[in-house]
Amino acid sequence: MRKEETVKLISAEGFEFVIHKDAAMVSQTIRNMLTSPGSFAETEHGEVTFPEISTTILEKICKYFYWNLQYASGKQTEFHIEPELVLELMMAANYLHT
Amino acid sequence: MENQLVELCLQAASVSRDSIEKWRRQRRTLERLPSQLADSLLRRLISRRILFPSLLELFKHNVEELDLRGESSVDAEWIAYIGAFRYLRSLNLSDCRRLTTSALWPIAGLESLRELDLSRCSKVTDAGIRHLLTITTLEKLCISETGVSANGVMLLSSLRNLSVLDLGGLPVTDLALSSLQVLTKLQYLDLWGSKITDKGAAFLQMFPNLSFLNLAWTSVTKLPNLSSLECLNMSNCTINTLLEGDNNKAPLTKLIVSGATFGDEFEAFHYIETTFLTFLDVSNSSLHRFYFLSHLNSLEHLDLSRSMIGDDSLELIACIGVNLKYLNLSHTRVSSAGVKTLTGHVPNLEFLSVSHTSVDDVAISYMSMMPSVKVIDLSSTNIKGVIHQVGPESDPVLSLSALQSLQHLGRLNLVDTQVTEAALYPLENLQELRELSIKSVSLTDISFNYTSSMPKLTNLRIHDGVLTNSGLNSYKPPLTLRMMDLRGCWLLTEDAILSFCKTHPHIEVRHELVHIYPSKQIVSNSASSSRSTLKASQAKQKPEVPVLPCFLDQRLKYSREELLALQYSSVSCAPPHDRDVVLPNTQSD
Repeated sequence: MRKEETVKLISAEGFEFVIHKDAAMVSQTIRNMLTSPGSFAETEHGEVTFPEISTTILEKICKYFYWNLQYASGKQTEFHIEPELVLELMMAANYLHT
Repeated sequence: MENQLVELCLQAASVSRDSIEKWRRQRRTLERLPSQLADSLLRRLISRRILFPSLLELFKHNVEELDLRGESSVDAEWIAYIGAFRYLRSLNLSDCRRLTTSALWPIAGLESLRELDLSRCSKVTDAGIRHLLTITTLEKLCISETGVSANGVMLLSSLRNLSVLDLGGLPVTDLALSSLQVLTKLQYLDLWGSKITDKGAAFLQMFPNLSFLNLAWTSVTKLPNLSSLECLNMSNCTINTLLEGDNNKAPLTKLIVSGATFGDEFEAFHYIETTFLTFLDVSNSSLHRFYFLSHLNSLEHLDLSRSMIGDDSLELIACIGVNLKYLNLSHTRVSSAGVKTLTGHVPNLEFLSVSHTSVDDVAISYMSMMPSVKVIDLSSTNIKGVIHQVGPESDPVLSLSALQSLQHLGRLNLVDTQVTEAALYPLENLQELRELSIKSVSLTDISFNYTSSMPKLTNLRIHDGVLTNSGLNSYKPPLTLRMMDLRGCWLLTEDAILSFCKTHPHIEVRHELVHIYPSKQIVSNSASSSRSTLKASQAKQKPEVPVLPCFLDQRLKYSREELLALQYSSVSCAPPHDRDVVLPNTQSD
C-alpha cells in the first residue's frame, strides 16, 4: 500500500488503523474530512482521530468498510454484528454517516 | 445506501429476545443514545413484536416519539413505564383496544408531550380526558371513536394550545362545539358523524385559523364562509349553501362532497374561490349541473364516479385539463365520444377510469393519445379488443395495439370486458406494464404466453379463464412477477398449483383451492411483513406447505358455548389488525 492511498484512523485509546482510502470513503463523514478544501490536518496527513470511538468499535467499523466495498462489487455476504456491540456501533455509524 | 451500517445494527439489535438481553444491561450507553436512534430502535422492537413493558424503561431518557398503534397488548403496565418518558413529544396509542380510562393516568405527567393519538380506544371515556387536562402543552389530540361524550369534549376547552383536534365519530353537540371557541389556535378540526347542526356550524367562524374541516355524515346544510379554510369534507351531507358570505373567499384547495345531496336552490359552487382548488371529489353526489368545472383551472384530481355527468359535460373538463392527473368517470353515462373530447387536452393525466361505462374499442385509440397515462381502468365496459372495419375485405384491427404508444402505462384493468384471447396479443409489447387484470371465460393457456415477455410485470390477475394444469406447468413467468391471482380458473387442480409454487417460490399464488404465501423472508420494518415472516417461519417447522382454505366460517369451528367464552378472553387472539384501515367517511389530509 502506498502512503497516499491510505488513511490512518486513531481510536479513543490511541490504536491506529491504517486502511485504504477507498474503504474509509464509505463513511460520508470521513469523505468530507478528507476531501474538504482548505488545509485541515486530516486532509494533509491522512490521519483522523476519533476520541469518542473505542478500539473494538473502530476495528469493527474498518471491517465494515471493506465488507461494504465487497458488497457493492457484487459479493453478497452477511456482515455479522455481535449483539454486545450493537449500541456503540450504531452510535459510531450514525456519527460517521455510514 | 445511506447509513447502511445503522440499519444493520438495528437489525442485529432486534433479532430476538436473546440479542436484547446482550445489550440491555449497557445502561450508560443507552442513556447516551441520540433520540433519533433511540426512536428507530424502539420502533424496530415494536414492529418485530419483541418489545415488553419493562424494556420501555431503558428508553425513558431519550425517546421523543413513540408509536404503539394497534398493539393490542398495551395496557396500564405499559403506560406506567411510558409515564416516565421525560422527553416524549409524540405518543400514538390509536387502536390499543385494551387501554382503559384509568390506565391513562400516568400520561398526565408527560410535560413535553405535544401530540397524543387515542383514536378508537373505545374504553377511554370522559374521565380519561380529565387525565389529559394537565398537559397544557398538547397541540395535537385525536380521540375519534372513543367513549368520550359531549361533556368530555367540553373539557377540552382548557387545552388552549390545541391546533389539531380529531373528534370524529363522537356525539359532539352544538353546545359542546360552542365551548371550544376559546381554542383559537385550531387549524384542523374533524367532526365527522357528530351531532352538529347548522346552528353549530355558525360557531365555526370563531376559529380564525381553521384550514381543515371534516363535517361528513352530519346534518349541517349551511356552511358559513370560513376565510382560512383550505380543505373541506362534507361528504354524505345535504348541502344547501357552501361557504356563503361577503368576506374574503376561502382559499380552498381540496373539496370532498362525495355522496352529498344538493338542495334545489344550490348555487353550484358560486361562493368558492376556484383558483386554488386542486382536488375535487363529487362522486355519488346528486349534482347535475357541471358548468362550475370550467372555472377550476388548477384541478389535478377529479372524481366524478357515479355522478350524473355525461358526454356533453366532458367538454368542460377538456377546457381545464392541463393540470389534471387523476380522472375517475366510472359508473357514469360517459361513452367513447366523451373520451374523444378529452384527447389532446389532458397532457398530464396519469389515472383514467371509465369502468362500468358504455365505452367501447374506439375509446382506446383516443386514450393512446394521452401521453402521461400510467393507469387505465376499462373494467366492465364494451371493450372487445377488435374493431371490425367497414368493407368486406379489410381485416379487423386489434384495438389494444394502440396502447403500445403509451410509454408509462403501468396498470391495465380489463376485467369483465368482452376481450377475446386473440385480441390480447398486442399487450405483449407493453414494456412498462406492472399490473394486468383480465377476467373472461374465453381465456386459455395462450394468455400465459403473452405475459411471459413483459419485462416489469409484478401482479397478474387472470380470473375465470379455462387455464389448464399443463399450461400452468409450462408457463415461464417474468422474473419480476410477485403475485398471481388465478381465482375462478376452475380447471386447475391443487397439485398443479402447488407444484408451480415449488418451482417459483417467490410468487404468491391465489386460487380458491390454495393460497400460498411467498416463502422468501423479506426483512422490513413494517409490522405486517413481520407478521408474514412469522407465518413463514411457522411454516418451516411443518414439513408441508401451508394450505389454507380461502374461507373458514368461525361459527363452524367453535360451538356456541366456546364462542361465548371467547367473547371475554384475551384480545390478542383476534385477527391481526390492519393498520391501513381508513374509515370511508374520514378524510385525512
